[in-house]
Amino acid sequence: MQNDKPPFLGFGLGLRPQHYSEILNGDPNVDWFEVISENYMVEGGQPMRMLDQICERYPVVMHGVSLSIASTSPLDMEYLGRLKKLAARVNPKWISDHLCWTGVHGVNLHDLLPVPYTKEALAHVVDRVKQVQDVLGRRLVLENVSTYVTFGQSEMTEWEFVSEVANRADCWLLFDVNNVYVSSFNHGFSADDFLNGVPRDRVVQFHVAGHSHEESHIVDTHDHPVCPEVWDVYHAAVAHFGPVSTMIERDDNIPPLADLVEELDHARSIAREVLGSPRLEAAE
Amino acid sequence: MSGLKELQEKFQRGILAGDDAVLTEINDSAKEERKTLFGVYRHAYVARLAEVLADDYDVLHAYVGDGTFAKLVKAYIAAHPSDRRSARDFGRHLPAFLSATAPFASHPELAEIASLEKALADAFDAADAEPLTVTKLAEIAPEDWPRLVFTPHPTALRLTFATNAADIWTALHNETAPPKAKALPEPQAILVWRQDVTARFRPIGPEEAMMWNEAVEGTRFGVLCEMVATFAGEDDAELRAATYLKDWTDTGMLAGCRVETTPDRGR
Repeated sequence: MQNDKPPFLGFGLGLRPQHYSEILNGDPNVDWFEVISENYMVEGGQPMRMLDQICERYPVVMHGVSLSIASTSPLDMEYLGRLKKLAARVNPKWISDHLCWTGVHGVNLHDLLPVPYTKEALAHVVDRVKQVQDVLGRRLVLENVSTYVTFGQSEMTEWEFVSEVANRADCWLLFDVNNVYVSSFNHGFSADDFLNGVPRDRVVQFHVAGHSHEESHIVDTHDHPVCPEVWDVYHAAVAHFGPVSTMIERDDNIPPLADLVEELDHARSIAREVLGSPRLEAAE
Repeated sequence: MSGLKELQEKFQRGILAGDDAVLTEINDSAKEERKTLFGVYRHAYVARLAEVLADDYDVLHAYVGDGTFAKLVKAYIAAHPSDRRSARDFGRHLPAFLSATAPFASHPELAEIASLEKALADAFDAADAEPLTVTKLAEIAPEDWPRLVFTPHPTALRLTFATNAADIWTALHNETAPPKAKALPEPQAILVWRQDVTARFRPIGPEEAMMWNEAVEGTRFGVLCEMVATFAGEDDAELRAATYLKDWTDTGMLAGCRVETTPDRGR
């Protein structure tokens, strides 16, 4: 198994088809790209051609949305096989997915569904992460999701659950700054408690994104620019975790590439302000 | 309190079937009731799949308008819970659903427009293959031509329409007013394939359709010429067959050819 901690890649974007030609014909100030694994589990055509060209020019990481690591249905070995095949083509710096479930009994609800923070769920997830890591031959990177409900049966906080999964399964973490902010608002906890509660040496990537505010709750829609409150959590996260590969994640209402690069530059300026240029450059 | 498996089953039923049993497992937040909070997941499931269908079937959407499309989407989501990892597969049953389900089935152009959109989407990211070139064909010795067999490009597929759905698709794709839907006097064959990175289609006549069907089955060129002669007359039959072949080659619909060396069995 590849055990070394993944490198600091700098500041990246999610690869979106709308930006293919701008990326390949221009020279945007983007250090790396994250690709949605499921979008490239196809046989050929433009998606695979573009992917190959991006992989020739940039470091790439793979980000999945349907591993369903916390589902009580059996692991989908056919899916894992396709994930492994794609990884052989992309040679990603790492492979990530979400600490959630997406359906049971063969149904896919295409959503990142919440897990009760119980000892039973913990043991189940840890066992599944280990199985997936054995199949992939590498450590998995798991992302905290935005949630809208909490369960009466939970026995620990989200950050305790996330930390236990990472430590026991020996996997890495993708700290989604927006999701921490969304869940902290929805459930009334402090984003700082989450931030201080997860093991620093496990965090290899940040996601920064926008969301929709519905007064009593926030929905993680990834269709808006990053708001000041999320930048504040990012600021605190950089101060706490140090140089961590950072990505702006926009999935809907996708703006021109230049707008996202501008947001990425804002992340760069925060990281420089917090860490100082020498520390960032040394990490790169 | 449910175990994890039972909790997930209740949660899923809550989303798919509107069953509220899961609410006993969920807390109210300081600011909102649990039913509203769980409603975020209920809403997201339908909204996300509706968006997938609107993206995958945008011409159908433009043809029927927002109101009918919303009804169609709601009925389809209820009939076909998603069972694939990739959302792009969710709408794959829509053409068959429209053919079989009232009131959509009484407008057969709907299923045909949907099947054309699905075929184009399938061709868009189907397997790659180097297309057969005219240069390669020119290297075939004249005496070998009768025994030549062809391999279709892996993206190529054939549809048959009973309505003018292809004309409706073209008009809407070009953002012009579509013609009124009508049944065609004869079924219309359509070839769909990908040329370089662009998914394309074109209607073909009955003779070309016959020759294509035989060619993709591995029928030798000599036999194809005989079939073309039988179909519409011996005069210039070889020229007609060669013209179809050249069109297929020029537009990347074939992936290869080889000279069949086994005894002549027709195919």
